Amino acid sequence: MKSKAAGLPLSYRLAVASRCLAALLGGYLLASMASVCIALLAPLSRVDATLIGLLLSFIFYLLAFIWCFACRSAWRAWLGVLLPSLLMAMASGIAYWMKTP
Amino acid sequence: MLGIALIGFAGFAALCLAMEKHFSDLLGCKPRPQQVRLLRVAGWLLLMLSLVLSVHLRGWGHGLVEWIAVLMAGVTLWVFVLPYQPRLLLGLAAASLVLGPLLAVLAG
Amino acid sequence: MKEGFRQAMAWLHTWTGLIFGWLLFAIFLTGTLSYFKEEINHWSQPEVRRHALDPVNSLGLAQRYLEANAAHAGSWMIRLPNAREAALSVSWRDPEAGRRGFVSKSLDAQTGQPVEARDSRGGEFFYRFHFQLEMPYPFGRWLSTFCAFIMLVGLVTGIITHKKIFKEFFTFRPGKGQRSWLDGHNAIGVLVLPFHLMISYSSLVLFMYMVMPAGILASYSGNTGDYFNELFGRDDPPKAANVATPLVPLPTLYAKVQEQLPGARIGYIQLHNPGDSNAQVTFTQASADNIAYKRSAKWTFDGTNGALLSQGAPESGAMATAFSFAGLHMGNFASPWLRWLYFVFGVAGTAVIGTGLVMWLGKRQLKHAKSEHMPSELRLVEVLNIASMSGLLLAVAGFFWANRLVPVALEGRADWEVNAFFLAWLLSLVHAVLRPGRRAWGEQLALGALAFALLPLVNGLTTGQGLDHSLQVGDWAMAGFDLTALAVGLFLAWAASTMLRAPKPVAKRASRAAKKPTADVVEVG
Repeated sequence: MKSKAAGLPLSYRLAVASRCLAALLGGYLLASMASVCIALLAPLSRVDATLIGLLLSFIFYLLAFIWCFACRSAWRAWLGVLLPSLLMAMASGIAYWMKTP
Repeated sequence: MLGIALIGFAGFAALCLAMEKHFSDLLGCKPRPQQVRLLRVAGWLLLMLSLVLSVHLRGWGHGLVEWIAVLMAGVTLWVFVLPYQPRLLLGLAAASLVLGPLLAVLAG
Repeated sequence: MKEGFRQAMAWLHTWTGLIFGWLLFAIFLTGTLSYFKEEINHWSQPEVRRHALDPVNSLGLAQRYLEANAAHAGSWMIRLPNAREAALSVSWRDPEAGRRGFVSKSLDAQTGQPVEARDSRGGEFFYRFHFQLEMPYPFGRWLSTFCAFIMLVGLVTGIITHKKIFKEFFTFRPGKGQRSWLDGHNAIGVLVLPFHLMISYSSLVLFMYMVMPAGILASYSGNTGDYFNELFGRDDPPKAANVATPLVPLPTLYAKVQEQLPGARIGYIQLHNPGDSNAQVTFTQASADNIAYKRSAKWTFDGTNGALLSQGAPESGAMATAFSFAGLHMGNFASPWLRWLYFVFGVAGTAVIGTGLVMWLGKRQLKHAKSEHMPSELRLVEVLNIASMSGLLLAVAGFFWANRLVPVALEGRADWEVNAFFLAWLLSLVHAVLRPGRRAWGEQLALGALAFALLPLVNGLTTGQGLDHSLQVGDWAMAGFDLTALAVGLFLAWAASTMLRAPKPVAKRASRAAKKPTADVVEVG
């Protein structure tokens, strides 16, 4: 960002806001889904798998954050956090359903 | 631990001198490629030595933590004092090369 | 974002740094102070006398006090005095009394009588502030943990942005205006990077169960209690049988622990159902003894006959990892020299944030150097910079001045100390609004210098435990506090002088502007 000139177009500001939301909310969703996924799928004891899931969740949040601002458009930002979240949610869902008869 | 800190300090001093810009700033002449290589090898060896000594003295847990701590302290001191007292630091580095191993041997 | 990865990360670094920098500065500064919270506690409550450590005696005294005053309580807790904490602490559960149903008392370690010390939160205030921000539970924790995450983002984006991270590893060029600020910011960032990364990530680990509950809820089907029981290797304590049975003398249990682990220092002792037939006593090793919390360093005895019921099961690799991060953050294991390094590195982290905030403004101020008035957004940043940095230092000083000046017997004086902290902070904000930037900095730093430098004098005059006394009797905690306050005062005086000196006139040529005297406002807590 080179200047705070008032001349920034609205579309730019909206795109930035969108990326921020994708990073903050989408990133959190991604991190949470990752921790759930690891907790349910890791071949460890329940407490250890949960713990590893918690520890690694922040790495996912960090990567999501970086993605949301590094990718080429706000749309890609959302796609990049929502799609993996969906996939992980599905995997977790299956794992949960298999664990609880 | 002081001996280990001094060895680490000397190691960072060597690695700093191994950079052409710093070598010429500090020693007034351009370094020869052999000198650069020697300094770089010496620097890394000294850092590794300080790690080995630290773990030997304090075990893996405390040893690793204290090693990183004294290294950070030493290199920070080096970088921030360098613009003001380069010769003092060079002298300290040279002294550390001797004093460091001596103290480390006396402690362990 | 379209300009390339590095530039996108630079943008992210700059803006997250600004928006969260003010709060992060406060978190880092108060967190840094927390490494000496026991020493600050000691300074804040000079009435608590230090005695030679005698854990067996202290334990007996604690038991006697609790049996006399808390016989009805369902659970007790005892914290033994140690090298850094002079008081013997006892607390018990009493739903009708105290904060959140807990009553706490500090006892003299030699007499077992409650200490008559001035009511003060001391070092605990700064400790709690740095992760709760004096906000109602749980909002403060959420906010501070989110800030910790942003700090991590800042560090990583900073690393990505710093193209010459290896080439400029040893580079610091003072006296070159904005270039020097950047060199300094980069240097304390990179050279102390292991600490910064550890501190930021471990902050997240400490509250991860709260901010990222999804994993726990999913794998434990909502039973978070089970997760914690499995993590800490504990069972729920038994319910009271309502059969009065005398409690075994605690020193005998202490001796049994010493048989198990000779030389172990005891952190705290928990008692469930004391005086009942289902009494249980749990001894936990002091956190000072290990870097990570060790589950196996926990012994539970039957409170009626002293039989060893269980010892904590060793932790798994994952647990050891998590507990190690927590332990590294807390630094309880640190010996005095390492504790000072923790403090220095904490100051470095604070300075990384502070220099970043100063540069954010400085760079943009240069662009508006020729115009009469700064744009209002920049003026806002300037005011917030001053209030959050020199203002915060004034607030810290205000807390300590209040500690010495507010009458010892005044009801609720602990709250008045906290009020003084926030009042001083608020006044500094008002001052920053009313005064031009450079003068505001200079005046606040000068006042700060005075406030900190005079603190040892105020201490001596009001308590008789000034440097003349503390150095003589070897009270290093008290003397260390006073000496550090003096050093801070000297540093702030130097910083103030650089700001109050008339700056060289801003010339049209950019290179001349870069030679303006730089003020290194690296804050020392």
